[in-house]
Amino acid sequence: MSATAVVFEDVSKFYGEVLGVNRVTLNIPPGITSLVGPNGSGKTTLMNLMSGLLFPDHGRILVRGVSPRDPETLMRMMGYATQYDTAPRWATGFTFITTGLLLFGYGRSEAEARAWKALERVSLTEAATRKVAAYSKGMRQRVRLAQAIAHDPDVIVLDEPLNGLDPLVRAETIDLFRAWAAEGKHVILSSHVLQEVDVISDQVVLIANGMIVAEGKIRKVRDEIQEHPSQYIIRCRDANASGVAALLFGEDHVTEIKLNADRMGLLVMTKDREQFARALGQIALDGHRIESVVPADENVDALYEYLIGGES
Amino acid sequence: MTQGLRGRARQAWTIAKTDLRRAFLAKRSLWVYALALLPSLIFFGHGLEAKWRAERLTRRGVITAAQLDSPRDGETIDAIKARLGKPAYENSGTRVRRVRQHGGTPGTTTHVIEPAVDARIVRMNVSRPTYSGEPVARIYELEVYGPDGRVNLALDKPATGSEPCSPEQGPDKAVNGSVTDRWCAEGWPLFLQVDLGAVHPVSRFVVKHASAGGESEESDTREFSIQLSADGKIFKTVASSTGAGFVEERTEYRYLTYFDGRREAHLTFADGKLHGRSMDNLLNFEEDRMIFAGIFQYFYLRLAIFFGSLGIFMYLFRGEMSNRTLHYWFLAPARREVLLVGKYAAGLIASAAIFGGGALIMFGALVWPHDAVDVQAYWNAGGMAHAFWYATAAALGCVGYGSVFLAVGLYVRNPIIPAAVLLLWEGANGILPHALQRMSILYYLQSLCPVPAPMDNDAPALVRLLAVPAVPASRPGAILGLLLLTAVVLWIASLAVRRMQISYGTEA
Repeated sequence: MSATAVVFEDVSKFYGEVLGVNRVTLNIPPGITSLVGPNGSGKTTLMNLMSGLLFPDHGRILVRGVSPRDPETLMRMMGYATQYDTAPRWATGFTFITTGLLLFGYGRSEAEARAWKALERVSLTEAATRKVAAYSKGMRQRVRLAQAIAHDPDVIVLDEPLNGLDPLVRAETIDLFRAWAAEGKHVILSSHVLQEVDVISDQVVLIANGMIVAEGKIRKVRDEIQEHPSQYIIRCRDANASGVAALLFGEDHVTEIKLNADRMGLLVMTKDREQFARALGQIALDGHRIESVVPADENVDALYEYLIGGES
Repeated sequence: MTQGLRGRARQAWTIAKTDLRRAFLAKRSLWVYALALLPSLIFFGHGLEAKWRAERLTRRGVITAAQLDSPRDGETIDAIKARLGKPAYENSGTRVRRVRQHGGTPGTTTHVIEPAVDARIVRMNVSRPTYSGEPVARIYELEVYGPDGRVNLALDKPATGSEPCSPEQGPDKAVNGSVTDRWCAEGWPLFLQVDLGAVHPVSRFVVKHASAGGESEESDTREFSIQLSADGKIFKTVASSTGAGFVEERTEYRYLTYFDGRREAHLTFADGKLHGRSMDNLLNFEEDRMIFAGIFQYFYLRLAIFFGSLGIFMYLFRGEMSNRTLHYWFLAPARREVLLVGKYAAGLIASAAIFGGGALIMFGALVWPHDAVDVQAYWNAGGMAHAFWYATAAALGCVGYGSVFLAVGLYVRNPIIPAAVLLLWEGANGILPHALQRMSILYYLQSLCPVPAPMDNDAPALVRLLAVPAVPASRPGAILGLLLLTAVVLWIASLAVRRMQISYGTEA
């Protein structure tokens, strides 16, 4: 669409037995965007796709109008700090970043100046001349961040950037994100904890099992998840499912009930899990023999439990 | 914001410089160095050993070349020692041989009886019919003489004996006055008997055995006795013979070694007379150069550079894949092809330096121990060009094999099977049709070698078949062909690297 957005058009990626992403369509405007989902949901795959480390099996991706298959152009405006916790064995923090910058065509002195500046931004100047292999996990995280931003990119992609940072550095880092967003840059983060990013994000994309579950402003996403109807399958011990159904129909939050032909099972759709759980408890206490209650819509339910969990 | 060719070249160079470290210093490179330097060590050791021997010989005395050449067969040891002085080494030994005693006419034995005995029947009993052990008696002629010694009393007289080998080889053939036929018998007991017709005084026998009739000496009668009888009833043994027996022949040998600074003369004396001479060059430049050509083609090009390139190039991408650092290159603002070229350049610089340098060191080790005059002659005869072409062939070997293993590393994870297939393909190069020969690196490299590889005539047929060099191309043609082949392989590699995706998860 617009040349200032990161656009996914009906993108699918499958590889081997590892789950990829399925029919993703996204339009990410500048600002801070968080990709949120459980581990293995496809966040990293989306990031690898937009940076050209992976190629989609289907669909099209454009990053501010540039295809990820053109690294020569794309990587001048994109910086990507991956989750791969590795660095070449030979490199010190400083040489690691400088070598990367030389590939941009900077002269050595400018490359070194920029590398130093980037290390300053992530407060890593003291360790700059030590081997990256000897860094702590948090330091390696920061040196990868410095490497991603050293050439001053417009699209900054950061895989789990807040993972493993101590609170002080974390606050500093978040300030950096805000500053970049204010400059009109794309800051695309991933996280598997919604609370971690919801206050700072302009936009949140919720992913589960390789599919986009919800997308938009953080408030909207919250409501969307909250109101997303859940389905449960209830099995009764005797052919008395219609009695249970009648009782559940009295509840406000129940929107739909389907009776099974054997009159022992029913499918219930509810807008509120907790009220549903309370109502079901009451029905059981009243003497209705309920054998099992199984969520029929695992994905969204699990995601909800995972992300929002004990909040409300 | 694309960049021009210069910018891309600079990127490739930056990548190459970064990867040079990996190519030169990886632990994996240790055996690459070992492969590159092994032949140098062999030549160096060879030279060192020759120098050491020359040093020891020199300390024991050096004579002039003319003196070294002067001994002639038959000269006595004392005369040679007087002329050449004390030898560098002197050894002695005795050789004892058992030899058959010979005497008189070949294959003929004469037996004299003193005094003469009157007899009518002459009987010859053969107890050991041959020297070879074959149990067949062969007598070409048995002659019996009286004291006047002129008339063969047995000639054409009736003869009997053991059953003959065949009817036409009967006992009569031993008394017919001819050595063109024989009595042959194998039935035990072996005997030959002649009836002289009347009693005569008998004083001498002449027996002509197998070799008298032109057969092998081994078939001569080894042990027999002769009996006489006047009446055919009472026999008296008058002669017995162990034929021509064995004697021990002792020969005293002396061995002298003289040295003129370059050559060793080994003089062998038998019973004090010069019997044999051999002259060895302490270092044979000609021979060493042939050995060099052989080692260079059969070991250096076919194995060392092959596996060295595998070790260096195969892991340019594969190594970063398993270290999980490849994505840093993919996230640089550089085309994948530029990355490929940069990495290839790094591998090439490293391998060409290691193996080109190795070839030059090997060449130096070859030349080093040799006589300055020989070396000067070699230089004048194009020795410098040889060194240049050997180093060039080694470097171009890295160009070719490097591109192949870079491509293989992009397509395949385990190097063993493709390496084995390639090794077979390259090895079978000589027997392929000409069009297919052009698809092998070795074909071009062989064409660049200044000296064709030597091939022993007694090498097994299969080895000869596999090692036979293809019809060589011209040098410019070979270089051009190799570069073209490399370009094609690199293009295939670029297809793979363009499609390459980061999936460390599935990497071991």
